[in-house]
Amino acid sequence: MAEYAIEMRGMVKIYPGGTVALKGVDFAVREGEIHGLLGENGAGKTTLMEILYGTRSPTEGEIFVRGRRVEIRSPRDAMALGIGMVHQHFTLIPVFTALENVVLGDEPVRSAGLLDVQAARARVEELMDQTGLHVPLDEPVENLSTGERQRIEILKMLYRNADILILDEPTAVLTPLETKELFAFLKRMKEEGKTIVFITHKLREVKAITDRVTVLRRGEVVGTVDTAEVSMEELARMMVGREVLFELEKKPREPEEPKLTVEDLWVRGEGGDYAVKGVSFEVRGGEIFGIAGVEGNGQTELVEAITGLRLPDRGRVLLAGEDVTGARPHHLYARGLGHIPEDRHRRGIILEFTVAENSILGLQRLPPFMNKWGVLQESVVRDWARKVVERFEIDTPGIDAPASALSGGNQQKLIVGREIMKDPKVVVAAQPTRGLDVAATEYIRRTLLRMRDEGRAVLLVSADLDEVLMLSDRVGVMYEGELMGVVRPEEVTLEEIGMMMGGVRLEDIKGGGAKAEAESTGG
Amino acid sequence: MQVAELLRFLLYPTFYAGMLRMMVPITLGAVGEIISERSGVVNIGLEGIMMLGALVSTYVGHFTGSMVLAMVSGLVVGLAAGFLHAGIAVNLAGDQIIDGVGLNLFAVGIGEVLLYLTWGSFATSPQLPPEVRVPSIHGFSPFVVLTLLVAAATWVVVEKTRWGLRLKAVGEDPVAAEAAGIDVFKVRTIATVVGSLLTASAGVFLSLDWLGAYTKNISAGRGFIALALVVFSRWNPLTALLGGLIFGFLFQLSQSIPSGVVPDQILWALPYLVTLLISAGFLAKARPPGAVGRPYKRV
Ligand SMILES: Nc1ncnc2c1ncn2[C@@H]1O[C@H](COP(=O)(O)OP(=O)(O)OP(=O)(O)O)[C@@H](O)[C@H]1O
Ligand SMILES: [Mg+2]
Repeated sequence: MAEYAIEMRGMVKIYPGGTVALKGVDFAVREGEIHGLLGENGAGKTTLMEILYGTRSPTEGEIFVRGRRVEIRSPRDAMALGIGMVHQHFTLIPVFTALENVVLGDEPVRSAGLLDVQAARARVEELMDQTGLHVPLDEPVENLSTGERQRIEILKMLYRNADILILDEPTAVLTPLETKELFAFLKRMKEEGKTIVFITHKLREVKAITDRVTVLRRGEVVGTVDTAEVSMEELARMMVGREVLFELEKKPREPEEPKLTVEDLWVRGEGGDYAVKGVSFEVRGGEIFGIAGVEGNGQTELVEAITGLRLPDRGRVLLAGEDVTGARPHHLYARGLGHIPEDRHRRGIILEFTVAENSILGLQRLPPFMNKWGVLQESVVRDWARKVVERFEIDTPGIDAPASALSGGNQQKLIVGREIMKDPKVVVAAQPTRGLDVAATEYIRRTLLRMRDEGRAVLLVSADLDEVLMLSDRVGVMYEGELMGVVRPEEVTLEEIGMMMGGVRLEDIKGGGAKAEAESTGG
Repeated sequence: MQVAELLRFLLYPTFYAGMLRMMVPITLGAVGEIISERSGVVNIGLEGIMMLGALVSTYVGHFTGSMVLAMVSGLVVGLAAGFLHAGIAVNLAGDQIIDGVGLNLFAVGIGEVLLYLTWGSFATSPQLPPEVRVPSIHGFSPFVVLTLLVAAATWVVVEKTRWGLRLKAVGEDPVAAEAAGIDVFKVRTIATVVGSLLTASAGVFLSLDWLGAYTKNISAGRGFIALALVVFSRWNPLTALLGGLIFGFLFQLSQSIPSGVVPDQILWALPYLVTLLISAGFLAKARPPGAVGRPYKRV
């Protein structure tokens, strides 16, 4: 057997807009290893793997699979070679059921092309039992959680008997527990002899699971090393090209009067049951209030209710003292709310629109962008867009490039930049650094802290516990739609937070007292 | 006059035969467009394709005296229009609307020019000889049976077969479909061509079966009504058939009520108005295929 399952030589990719995403990359994966592909946003990780999977065509370069030179023109070719891929942005059909999604493209049929649903179900159920990955098969995928969707993607790949598995930032959307399960699963797959390419920019994960790692920077390979022989610091330096600060400086600051108040809020979720059950808290100017918790415990609905995207059943939301319960988003934006949404593709930007157009989303009806005749002022928009791009160091081919041409991190910077340029009193940031690399994450965290220091109120909802604890002045832990307690990060242990995330109330942990204390000292 | 007296025509089979006939063109057009839109390609050139199908089949029928040649030529027009639209909207990832508008305008113009140049009339061609016309069977048109079959078969294909699953996948999310190993361009091209073919067959029906001639404005907006029906039906061919029946009923009704009872203009507008109102009512709730109207490009 050839030493390398995959070898890519001299890969060059120039996108239609002129972006050179890969500048002659050599990349080789050994048979049966877990190979990390590490790099910052825009380094070219996705591009390289999409070429291997046939969804992008290379400008130059050769691909060898198990020593044999191959042409991969479409995913069909890749599948025939045993290559499967879980994409960074899932490629599932939202209205199809899980079952339909798994078998799509390789459907069992009876005569005359009639779908054999029973056979399909039997095969997929068997696969689920073998792998231990279980999902409800008859539910439309749009109703399933991110973790479940990812399992469907993995099943889809294994259903076609792929033995070279590519996973593009699979952990970016997972909770810590789900990540642990995924890692256990990948190790099992490795034992079964599968070859795995694991894309990430989280150093800890590289250390935890990979055998070797290739680091990409700006379309070039910095090096391929044995994971055991490098430290996280070395990897970070290779990736970023400079020393990285793992600590952020947070100055003490006296909070001011409340700018966002939530009183006994009850919100129904997608299924009609209450997802948020009587949550109350307030966020003061000059304060970051963090919401921690395992995803799916009502955080999304809470944010939607606060930002006007979902009507609460009961309770009140006050913005700078004014009752804005149930107000529409544009009304809230006009009153000083900034929103960095959780799902940046659905709610943050419009991928088909240009960077310039995206930079004024939500402002388009206001002067000076629109004149009194309702005409957009092109030159004002362009000036503004240039300012956003410059100030927030957004890496883009130009302000007329579609947002889809930006890497994930730069898309997020565009959103954050736009929201901050609106000069909001209150900023609601949901999963603001999800899927972002070290540099972009650091940048966005700094920006959130700066907003706090400028006296704005920041509500930070994040599944990344480190992030919440690092940035927040006070943290509320959500469990099944309720706040288990509100604490100051420096006054709790990780175990205590972990217990609250699992449904134990703060007063039961500390025997009363503590909660009241945190609330009185904090607000 | 008594209302009962006025509505006596409802008792005669000819009323229902007529109603079924009037169901044919818009149902064929709508089902064709459903196939196309399910793959993500909008074709607003239905009206033009119907007209061209009718025009060419009349022409060929007139000069060859062969019904088969007349039919085939009408369908070839559908194929050509389908490939043209697929070429522009699918393979070149161009705008899906513009060429349809162009086709509609072109069809009106070329029809009038040819009518005048060939037969010296702006309004109508001479009647086709009987051997070129599609014969009725016991007063019922074979196109009625065809339409019922097409609607039912389309439903089965879309809902129950592998091709249907792939068709829907491509129309919902071409990127995901491609990642699942489906050839998006091929599926979209086939769907567009089949859709156009069905629409052209509606045109063939109008000239060879219904009127036995080509007249100016022969399609009378049915292509556009078919477009509305697609939305009303929520992209379901069986519901489109139901909508076609409603339209057919109303149209036949407007033809059957003796003039003078209701102002003619209102009568004529009735089927269009009601169909549009119903469609509009459904518009709010309808959920179109996720990627309908969006060109797909590889990078
Ligand atoms: N469809 C596209 N059109 C034009 N440019 C693109 C396109 N996709 C990616 N790029 C550009 O190519 C470069 C590499 O992007 P790529 O998505 O491969 O990075 P990545 O390493 O996967 O980043 P991330 O961690 O953000 O996912 C970036 O500069 C990006 O802007
Ligand atoms: Mg990527």
